[in-house]
Amino acid sequence: MSSTNALIIVAFSALMIAISFLIGIWSKKKATTAQAYFGGTAMFGPVAVGLSSMAGIASAFAMVGVPGIIYGTGNAMTFWMLSGAAFAMAYIILGKKMRAMAEIAPISSLGDICDIRFNNNRIIKALMSIVICLGCVGYLAAQISAGSALIANLVDIPPIVAGIIIFGLLTVYTALSGEVGGLLSQAFQGFIMVIASLVLIIAFFSITGGFGNVLEAVGSVAEVTGATNGITKKLGPDLLNAWGSFPGGISLTWMLIPILGCVGQPQCLTRMYAVKSPRDLPKAGLVTAVTHTIVGFLAVASAYGALYLVATGQIEPLASNDQAVYAFANHLGLWAQVLVYAAILAAALSSASMFLTSSSTLLSKDLPSALGIKIAPEKQISVSRVFMFILGAVAIVVSIYSSEMVALLGTFGWGTLVSATFPVFVVGLLWDRCTEAGALVGIAYSFVFNILPLVTGFAYPSALPGYFLTSAIAVALTVVVSLLTPKPKFNEAMQAVMDL
Amino acid sequence: MNIKKNQTTIWIIIAVLWIVCIVAGTTGHFVFGMCAGVPLMLLHMLLGVAKGGVVSKKFLIYPLAIWAVLWLISFILSGYFGNLFAGVMPTFTVLGVHPSFAPTIFLYWIGGQLTLNLGYYLLQDEWLSQEDWDSFCNKVKDMKEVK
Repeated sequence: MSSTNALIIVAFSALMIAISFLIGIWSKKKATTAQAYFGGTAMFGPVAVGLSSMAGIASAFAMVGVPGIIYGTGNAMTFWMLSGAAFAMAYIILGKKMRAMAEIAPISSLGDICDIRFNNNRIIKALMSIVICLGCVGYLAAQISAGSALIANLVDIPPIVAGIIIFGLLTVYTALSGEVGGLLSQAFQGFIMVIASLVLIIAFFSITGGFGNVLEAVGSVAEVTGATNGITKKLGPDLLNAWGSFPGGISLTWMLIPILGCVGQPQCLTRMYAVKSPRDLPKAGLVTAVTHTIVGFLAVASAYGALYLVATGQIEPLASNDQAVYAFANHLGLWAQVLVYAAILAAALSSASMFLTSSSTLLSKDLPSALGIKIAPEKQISVSRVFMFILGAVAIVVSIYSSEMVALLGTFGWGTLVSATFPVFVVGLLWDRCTEAGALVGIAYSFVFNILPLVTGFAYPSALPGYFLTSAIAVALTVVVSLLTPKPKFNEAMQAVMDL
Repeated sequence: MNIKKNQTTIWIIIAVLWIVCIVAGTTGHFVFGMCAGVPLMLLHMLLGVAKGGVVSKKFLIYPLAIWAVLWLISFILSGYFGNLFAGVMPTFTVLGVHPSFAPTIFLYWIGGQLTLNLGYYLLQDEWLSQEDWDSFCNKVKDMKEVK
């Protein structure tokens, strides 16, 4: 890439970061209470919530890793990316109950809801906070690592410098404005992702002529070898059937866990109590559906575009699958490169700010209270601000200097969050028979079997990913133990939520 | 449809369906596992849409039942055409898409969106009407005043 092109891309990215920063600083005046700062509770309309939810869910991995997986292994991953129905499903399942909790008590975090539902049970709250935090910090590290490397490669500066500039600014505005600034800046970043995706999708149809030509090109040759780089790419018709080259169990996992598991993601759960009224959620569902459809389809279109270019000999097979989206954009020219880099950076920023606020809230508010450490309410925001600065700084340094740590944390992600939240929130709020003992056993199982593989190398005797089994068994244990223990009694307000 | 008395049964079925999905995925019956995932998700939505344990029949038919049927058909067709055209170019396409992948595009993705998102929006009162919400808020307000 020429230095002029790189500078134009960096300038556009810098403009986006500057606008995000200004939104964050402007939002500071609204983050005056703990409910506003930590949860943005009952403050936002459906468009802001819908766009920010989509942006929080669609991370840098969705923009770079997913096209790479589809390019490399075919369509199994499309079950994950074409999952726009997940938001409506999540809101139908838990939307009104999560929002209703904010009416019966001052809710500013997931830990507050856990307290009310399970009688301030500290062990449930502590275990849940730790497991969710593992998932959030894993995501945060991956976003910082990817975003810093992206810009560092473009302008030939050390990744730590890029990381400090980009994610340092993000940490400042997120720490100052909390979830209010986080949500509004994510909505803006989501908007950038949608615009970029729309243009690139049109470009995909323009250069390939549509799916038929891609299938014809990819399906009619078994493999292609690059004339200069000597890399061989396996093609053939099976690459573009529904399952691709992965074992079928992966399709099952990548359908069920993202769709049903969306309701267990903090970036979805916390937004349910950020809406002014639960009646805004159906509208927010439409916004997330339309925007996620566009952004999700970009991942598919860029992978298909790269496959088409390789199959027709217009580019050589890629050295790394993760280059798929860049190869497609590079072929289209400068304007596409600007949009792709902006979309990837927007995805990294939005997910990073989401997980920075989530993890710092868990570590500075929920976990201390679960451990019996009391922080005066009037000091809570200041304490969390300091904590967020420290967490942001540590995350930047560790993400860039310790690739082993990023890889380790990267094993915690979507599935980890599902296994942590289902026993407490999904079973807990949908079933009045769910007991403290049931939720405790479920979350304890999730805690142990998320940590155990790292410590001992434990693996389930199944081809399915471990997080699938951990989530499923945690839910099953929650149900079984609840049935074996006495039915809980609720106060009148909690009963009203359960009946809503 | 009143499911209040059946909630425990529903949760037992949910627990069993999770395990069924694990077994099906582990033993290579992944299409069956995906089909088992549909009632698993449907039961969660039934519990979520219920008001005081009562599920609206309208909402049950559209969007929920129609969504469930669309996704079941999608997975079965993908499995069928995946086997039929394994290792060979398909003899036909659906708007250019591989016949095994076409159900993912048209039924799972677009069909899923149009039923769940649109149905949820159009029939939102069956999920939570303004009256339901106002009544809940007033009830909570009264409780706080009593305290």
